[in-house]
Amino acid sequence: MKAHHISNWFSDRLGWRALSSDVGGRLVSARNPNIYIGGVILFLFATQIASGVLLLLHYQSSAEHAFESVTRIAGEYPYGDLVRGVHFWSGQLLVGTLLFQLVLSMLRGSFTAPRELVWVSGVVITTVAAAFAFTGSVLPWTDDAYAQARVGSQMAGYVPVIGGTLLRLLRGGDEITSQTLQKVFGFHVAVLPASFTLLLVLHFYTIRSAPRVTTTPAADGEKIPMYPDFVVRMAAIIVGVLVVVVSLATFVARPIGNAADATAASPASARPTWFLLPVHALLKSAPTTLLGVDSARFIGGALTGLYLLVAALPFVDKRGGRVTTGITCGALVLAALLTIHALY
Amino acid sequence: MSKDEKATAESGRRDFLGMAIVGTAAALGVTAAVPGISFLRPDSRRVIGTASAGKVHDFQLGTGRMVLLDDRPVLIIRLPEGGFRAFLAACTHLGCIVKYSQERNRIECPCHRGVYSIEGANVSGPPPRPLETLKVEVESGEIFVRST
Repeated sequence: MKAHHISNWFSDRLGWRALSSDVGGRLVSARNPNIYIGGVILFLFATQIASGVLLLLHYQSSAEHAFESVTRIAGEYPYGDLVRGVHFWSGQLLVGTLLFQLVLSMLRGSFTAPRELVWVSGVVITTVAAAFAFTGSVLPWTDDAYAQARVGSQMAGYVPVIGGTLLRLLRGGDEITSQTLQKVFGFHVAVLPASFTLLLVLHFYTIRSAPRVTTTPAADGEKIPMYPDFVVRMAAIIVGVLVVVVSLATFVARPIGNAADATAASPASARPTWFLLPVHALLKSAPTTLLGVDSARFIGGALTGLYLLVAALPFVDKRGGRVTTGITCGALVLAALLTIHALY
Repeated sequence: MSKDEKATAESGRRDFLGMAIVGTAAALGVTAAVPGISFLRPDSRRVIGTASAGKVHDFQLGTGRMVLLDDRPVLIIRLPEGGFRAFLAACTHLGCIVKYSQERNRIECPCHRGVYSIEGANVSGPPPRPLETLKVEVESGEIFVRST
């Protein structure tokens, strides 16, 4: 039996030839950045799953063994540090790419009708990615991670209305214990991946089903067929991203730190993951009370309000005008200044 | 039955079955959600416990020590003049674990630069409330902290 016979046998039963000529023949806008960003996001998420499953098979989620198991992954198993590095860096790049796309859409005003659901699902996807990064930073159960778990769950407690329930749900009780680590682990490896996958499907579905709108002349420009032109470009970009991820994993040192100890003071160096540094700066610099409310509770409430405003942006700013662009630029500058403040 | 009547009856039947399917799915969802959510919500059990903080003669004047009491970190300080103080070590700002600073004779939170006095009063930085005080008892040379 020849190779093309086998290929034909499967093709007759799976109908992939018709499918590939249909999908492959579709035209895409060569200069629309979103389709490339979407491809990069899919690739990074696939990398997360592949490296995450490997880590999952060695990681132990109890408070006594978590730190030790991470040390063993990094130090003893062949390529363990590479796997851990690839998982870490592809995760950071995933959050970074999603935030970049979010900001880009805000600046371009591409969230307006009829693309409201594209925007809302995109905001929720970015939130889930941020939750991935936060829970992932807690799993090694170092002294830093333990402090982050304490502060992070306390901040969740300051979300208006549902805060109290959220805090006890995340901690598995009133205190940070081994139960907390188990919850964080469960979210990181089951709840969040399942949500992320479903949301991605929903997001791509909303992109396809929303009537076409062109926000920039570039999107109207040159059209290229999906196969081979777009696939080749995308493949080149993905190889580039992979080189960046592997280089970061190989050449940037990521010391694991010290094991968590519930009977030791929190380390003075404890800082959250990079995208939360502006919040860290606010919490550190705020006075005891703001407008008569404890400052941390005030900041928690204000951030919840800000988040809901961003999620509801298409319904607040129906035209995607200059005001949103201006406020976004201002917010970026503020976030940059706060990040610098948090680091020094 | 005429053609029109048939079509009306068919559309009524479709609507009814559609509602029945959605209704059943919703009922099943709620039935599953109630035990599911209750299962995840931990009960708030406050055990009244006691923890030992070692012997008095091992505890140097002007130093602090940390023990766990019902999973909660507790800071015990032996004052420079001899007495004991015990506090829940969770900062009232965002729950980081505070420490006793010997040189400045005060309690500090390293995360967001909160400062408490040796009495546990919030002195500067973001903490909104004093640290929660616990009872210290000394029985035959051993120090105990009790949750109240």
